[in-house]
Amino acid sequence: MDVVRRNNVTVTGNPQGRTVVLAHGFGCDQNMWRLTVPALADDHRVVLFDYVGAGRSDASAFSEDRYASLDGYAQDVVEVCEALDLRDAVFVGHSVSAMIGVLAADRAPERIGALVMVAPSPRYIDDDGYRGGFGADDIEELLGSLESNYLGWSAAMAPVIMGNADRPELGDELRNSFCATDPDMARVFARTTFLSDSREDLKRVRVPTLVLDCTQDVIAPREVGAYVNRSIPGSTLVTLDATGHCPHLSAPEATNEALTEFLAGLK
Amino acid sequence: MNALKMSTRDTASGPVLEVAGDLDYLNAGQFRDLLPTITVRPGQRLVVDLGALDFCDSSGITALIAAHHHAQSGGGQLVLAAVPANTLRILSIVGLDQVLTIHPDSEVATGA
Amino acid sequence: MMARAGQYSDPHDADDDKTAQAAFAALLEDSAEDLYESAPCGYLSTLMDGTIAKINSTLLGWLGLARSDVVGRLRFTDLLTVGGKLYHETHFAPLLRMQGQISGIALEIKQAGGGRMPVLVSSVVKHGTTGEPLLIRTTVFDARDRRAYEEELLRRQQSAEEARRQAEADRARLQDTFAVLQQSLLPDTLPELPGAEAAAHYHTASPDRLGGDFYDVFPLDGKRFGFFLGDVCGKGPQAAALTSLTRYTLRAAALHDPDPVSALTTLNKVLHERYSAGGDPRYCTAVFGTIDPDPDAGRLTVHLASGGHPPAVVLRADGTAAYLPTPGGLLVGVLPAAPFTDASTTLGPGDTLLLYTDGLTEARTGKDRTSLYGDEALLAFAATQAGRPPHAVIEALGGLLTGFGDGLDDDTALLAIGVPSSDDQTSEDRTSSTR
Repeated sequence: MDVVRRNNVTVTGNPQGRTVVLAHGFGCDQNMWRLTVPALADDHRVVLFDYVGAGRSDASAFSEDRYASLDGYAQDVVEVCEALDLRDAVFVGHSVSAMIGVLAADRAPERIGALVMVAPSPRYIDDDGYRGGFGADDIEELLGSLESNYLGWSAAMAPVIMGNADRPELGDELRNSFCATDPDMARVFARTTFLSDSREDLKRVRVPTLVLDCTQDVIAPREVGAYVNRSIPGSTLVTLDATGHCPHLSAPEATNEALTEFLAGLK
Repeated sequence: MNALKMSTRDTASGPVLEVAGDLDYLNAGQFRDLLPTITVRPGQRLVVDLGALDFCDSSGITALIAAHHHAQSGGGQLVLAAVPANTLRILSIVGLDQVLTIHPDSEVATGA
Repeated sequence: MMARAGQYSDPHDADDDKTAQAAFAALLEDSAEDLYESAPCGYLSTLMDGTIAKINSTLLGWLGLARSDVVGRLRFTDLLTVGGKLYHETHFAPLLRMQGQISGIALEIKQAGGGRMPVLVSSVVKHGTTGEPLLIRTTVFDARDRRAYEEELLRRQQSAEEARRQAEADRARLQDTFAVLQQSLLPDTLPELPGAEAAAHYHTASPDRLGGDFYDVFPLDGKRFGFFLGDVCGKGPQAAALTSLTRYTLRAAALHDPDPVSALTTLNKVLHERYSAGGDPRYCTAVFGTIDPDPDAGRLTVHLASGGHPPAVVLRADGTAAYLPTPGGLLVGVLPAAPFTDASTTLGPGDTLLLYTDGLTEARTGKDRTSLYGDEALLAFAATQAGRPPHAVIEALGGLLTGFGDGLDDDTALLAIGVPSSDDQTSEDRTSSTR
């Protein structure tokens, strides 16, 4: 199997530098890192990829079984690391990818030497003393909306539903201008993302870890960032003055600064 | 493939049905649908003139057998006229040349 | 005509001029502010962190909120359902950041009464003179009708997909049924004949239509064997029913009286009785015969009769082939009493008797159906196979059928019975035949 093709792996930056793997979260693809890459490229080798079902990954590699748990995605990360024979790389994961990075580092400790968790959440649903920010009902509503395909339909979606064999360019256009991908695969990714509970996995992290959260993030509130920080021994928490769930887009300078400072501090 | 064309006329000896084109799986049904509209009286001959027949398959043979039964049920007799060589060969293989009356042309068949 | 046309189009008409001016004046009085507030879509301006700075009355009306509850107090995501919020954070906001604009995204807004209103949202980032993002301008369109239409589309697509799956399943089931039925009309295997060999081949013209050819070889009385091969008229389920009736009638008749003419006469009675009423004659052509093997002499005697069926071919060890004529035998089932013609021959080592249906001789060899393979070509081909054992003859004929390609549009059955010459028998065959 060609992992590089499957996950649309791109390698850029300084080949002599330490490798930094940038992993996108639910809802987008490697394009999310466009404001991050320039800040790292001079001193680091930068690896980007798309999860199967996102961006320009090989959709034929999709398996509902494999990707029904975060382990399936973590296995993909390990395979990407193996395909490039990465050693001691820094894994930067956004949102659900932060947790995928935790699982991958546990599986392949020799390949992942440090973690950066951007707006992570080990558990989205509130649970007996834990505050994830969402009720079970909320998540059900999101998944229900995704299942009925309503959310995120663009104005041009109807012809796509009806099959657009006579206008293939329409599909391409949607793909290119959207991070949104195959609705069925996005549905599986959403279910896996929002129903997982990875709190126990945090305790097993043994590598230097930076946790980045935002002052205003409806998806990963500050309590959650603090929880992750507390659960990972020796981790560093930096709260960015940023709104929303994507500080690398809404506050790129602050994000890059925290990131480069952490990278510089690694041995 | 040729269309099936049929026309009927009455003579002193009985009705004459002229068949042109293909009498095959696709259109033998037309032939059989036409039969009930043709009246054969006791002692009359139903002459089926195959002079312009291009092709006849097993469905066509079935249609001719139906014509035979139709003539008999009216107390008359089926006579085939001007049967093309290839159809005659098939009639001979299936033994119908021994059962059906076959005349070289419809004038002889109608006794004109 | 001219005057009437002028009422609508002549710009110099004095009355119309006045009306147009009045309308234009009214339009001028529609201030930009009023246009903003009462536009048929929602308008919203937010700071980069999503805080709502400005909102029009139309959108407030949809939300059921007072301006004072919203401006400076709520963020755009607060107006959305939870699903919408998550979608906004994971898709909408990142794309807006990356592209500077995003258009026509379907979201749902929460209404004060607890209702949810489907909307289509477009946003654009306004930049300052130095290029820094200042605020986000958003339009919100009522998509209730559109959503209903899309739901209908989706429902239709799902039911069409379901119907297609069902049709495919039905078709597969029907083909399975056909295959099972077709097999019930033909023997699974042919019995071993002492000192002789039988081989058969069936070509199905279409998997969707049950064929009407049939054959069988079966033991009669411990010494002799019966065989038949034939062709019923028509195709499809009726033909299959007729084939079934024919096959089992012949087998039963043969046990009662194996004389070939008697067996065909019994079949004729049964078919005529069954099908003569109703003006829908059904019949078959058939060759029925008996095999009387004499393994010690290395010979067998064949006695057969034909009812309207093309004559059998006898392939001799000396390299010749000839028809075994059975002239005058009538189609089976057409008349209450029918003549059948019988014939006999003896097969020695290297001799083979070949039975076939007219799919073979009627195969088209040219563009139209006037160029058929024919009796003479078959005889010539048979001569090239003469001397070979039955399975080899059948194999060669199978190749011939394949070679016809589209020219072979009818089912075709082949049956060969013969005494292999000693050269053709493997040691294994010899062992089994002497047992």
